[in-house]
Amino acid sequence: MKVTVDPDRCQGHARCIFFAREIFEIDEDGYAKVRPGFEEVPLDLQPSAEKACANCPERAISIARE
Amino acid sequence: MSERKKQQDVARNFDFHGPALDNIFNDYAELRAKCPVGRSEKYGGFWFLTKSEDIFAAEQDPETFSVAPSMLLPAFGTDDPLIPIDIDPPKHQDYRRILLPLFTPQVLKKLEDPIRQTARDLAKAFVERGSGADASYMFARPLPTIIFSRLAGYPDKDWPKFDAWVDDIIYHRVEDPERSRRAANEVIAYFDNLLASWQDEGESNTLIDYILRADIDGRRLTQAELRSYCYLLFVAGLDTTAWAIRSGLWFLARNLEDQRKLRARPELIPYACEEFLRTLSPVQAMARTCLKDTVIRDQEIKKGDRVALVFGAGNRDEEVYPNPDKVDVERVENRHLAFGAGIHRCLGSNLGRRELLVGIEEFLNIVPEFKAADLSQQWHGVSSLNLEF
Repeated sequence: MKVTVDPDRCQGHARCIFFAREIFEIDEDGYAKVRPGFEEVPLDLQPSAEKACANCPERAISIARE
Repeated sequence: MSERKKQQDVARNFDFHGPALDNIFNDYAELRAKCPVGRSEKYGGFWFLTKSEDIFAAEQDPETFSVAPSMLLPAFGTDDPLIPIDIDPPKHQDYRRILLPLFTPQVLKKLEDPIRQTARDLAKAFVERGSGADASYMFARPLPTIIFSRLAGYPDKDWPKFDAWVDDIIYHRVEDPERSRRAANEVIAYFDNLLASWQDEGESNTLIDYILRADIDGRRLTQAELRSYCYLLFVAGLDTTAWAIRSGLWFLARNLEDQRKLRARPELIPYACEEFLRTLSPVQAMARTCLKDTVIRDQEIKKGDRVALVFGAGNRDEEVYPNPDKVDVERVENRHLAFGAGIHRCLGSNLGRRELLVGIEEFLNIVPEFKAADLSQQWHGVSSLNLEF
């Protein structure tokens, strides 16, 4: 599973870090990005990634499965 | 009355302020089903969007949907645009950028302990007052007032004036616009004085001090810009959060099973808070103005027409939320638009969420099981909420 944040869509709601703090981080202006090394989501964090994706109000998070 | 006539009346009289909110969830359901894009004759006439997808699409399209002359319908006691919510791109981004670093989750984390301590103190005072005490005036309203005032740098001695100003500007603006304007002028004069006194002082590490020293296109902000920021932060920072906390307590006071569930499983409180925001949101709608002719669900909307994005209706859209009118404290998938979306997403959403969450947690920690003392008290607004415990 691969996860990405579209920087043009993210508006800083920060819902992703509620559901998956291990995968996402927030920059100093409040916008989200995927933590380096977590673009490929470890198996145990995949349910959290899916919740973050489903709860992003801007639909900025995309998940791609192999 | 024919079904069609009744439906036309619901659309024509559609309003999202004051007593109209009492039964608005029924109107939302009817409008979504039969008239998802309709026209009201209130406030000089406006179109309204009630479907989640349509609202979301409009929020993502600032080139069609302008926030001028104001996102607020009717305005908050002033005709001056509020920065940054009433400003369109490209200027909007520069104005918003100044505030962004102040409201990130990592910065707000530092407020966690003060919020918790204040919530505890207020909840204890509420319990001491005894059964029947007013949770709105003793808890839901003072919590955000104290937290935001400290953050902004408003002197403690001025807090008692704030509730009356908020009531006049926001809640009386529909039936008494003059009262709203008078209060707005008082608030603006108050900030002119504060800004003048701050300008003379050294750095104070408050939000207002930060704005005073902010840089936009290589210059300092003008007096008119500073005043607008101050006014917006005042009207946005105090009232909405108070409503959110009050409406959550209102729900829990009438749904004791849910209240008991949250006490037994406090890990559900963040999910419950999202449900309160989705279903009982302080901002039921915000307005736009069309910059060009457009069509939404076969309905033509002309350039210059006002359009209300009815978040409260979209947040109960059955196409997005199973069992949408149920406040389900265990709902996990909840992409509600209580804070809006797109470039005008509520800048204080992370602060508002934190105050709501910690407020509900500490209220439940300190106040024993409570129920509504007066069933005539409504879900909306910030007026009294008396609780028996």
